[in-house]
Amino acid sequence: MNKKSTFFYAIALLLILVNIYTYVIPYFQKSDINLENVNFEAQINSDDLIASYLSNENKTNTNFNGKIIEVTGNVKEVTFLNNRNTVILYGENKDSGIICDVHPSQIEKLKLLTIHQKIAVKGICKGFLKDVILLNCIIDNQPNE
Amino acid sequence: MNKFLFFLIICIINIYDFTAQNQFIARQGQITFFSYASVENIEAQNNQVLSILDVKTKKVAVSMLMRAFVFKKDLMYEHFNESYIESDIYPKATFEGDILNFDKNATRQTKLINGVLNIHGISKETKIKSTIENNNGTYSIYGECKVLVKDFDIKIPPILSSNIAKSITIKFKFQYQPYDE
Repeated sequence: MNKKSTFFYAIALLLILVNIYTYVIPYFQKSDINLENVNFEAQINSDDLIASYLSNENKTNTNFNGKIIEVTGNVKEVTFLNNRNTVILYGENKDSGIICDVHPSQIEKLKLLTIHQKIAVKGICKGFLKDVILLNCIIDNQPNE
Repeated sequence: MNKFLFFLIICIINIYDFTAQNQFIARQGQITFFSYASVENIEAQNNQVLSILDVKTKKVAVSMLMRAFVFKKDLMYEHFNESYIESDIYPKATFEGDILNFDKNATRQTKLINGVLNIHGISKETKIKSTIENNNGTYSIYGECKVLVKDFDIKIPPILSSNIAKSITIKFKFQYQPYDE
């Protein structure tokens, strides 16, 4: 094997690896990610997050959308609507809250939550409608004060 | 005496109408879409769809975040948001419509909702057949419809066109609670 063909095979192998990394691995990767051992990128309380969305939605989207954030707040409601496991945190006004779609690994923790209990929820921020929406949420029922 | 009685009845009707619950909200509405294609079937679900129903004006409004759709695979989510829907530019899809011949007291009715669907920044007049149920004063609306990808200026590269159906089936389900604005 001469130098030229070695170089060619090395490039071909590199291209195959890049393609596997870019297309094949993501294809088989499940979107239901467990964030238990993933660090959050920002930390905020529920009142401040909602206030930020209400005052400037575009700017807040830039700061938080698609990021893993930890939100501290008080439990307003726990629901199992449509076979989803959800905890809703109170917001600064009665009209808005934080809807947290909880990861299946957290169901036991979710069942033990009580109304008005202070918790922290780590999840991926998806944006704001009337409420802020967090997906893949992990519950910390003993948040740092 | 008769005039007084008539006046009293009108007053009671007006007070009843004023205090009656007319607006209902669903914060965790569910929308699922299906693309059945020869290469692969794609399904995604959004469980945090917002909808407001006004039984007095017979209007319904829906708003959803495109990035809140959950796919089975990460790559599908990426293609959907970055290549097709361009969620950074058009983060929400909306629908606003009038329920034709709606009777707020009927227990179960199937009606057409005539409205405007906005996806990918494109608005299109749409008629959606829906079933509306009244369960002791709270409502639920469910049904399904089809939308054509080409109607919303969603560009699919020719190499991927066999992966995505030309017509997407959308199923929806909203369970409303009384809403005081």
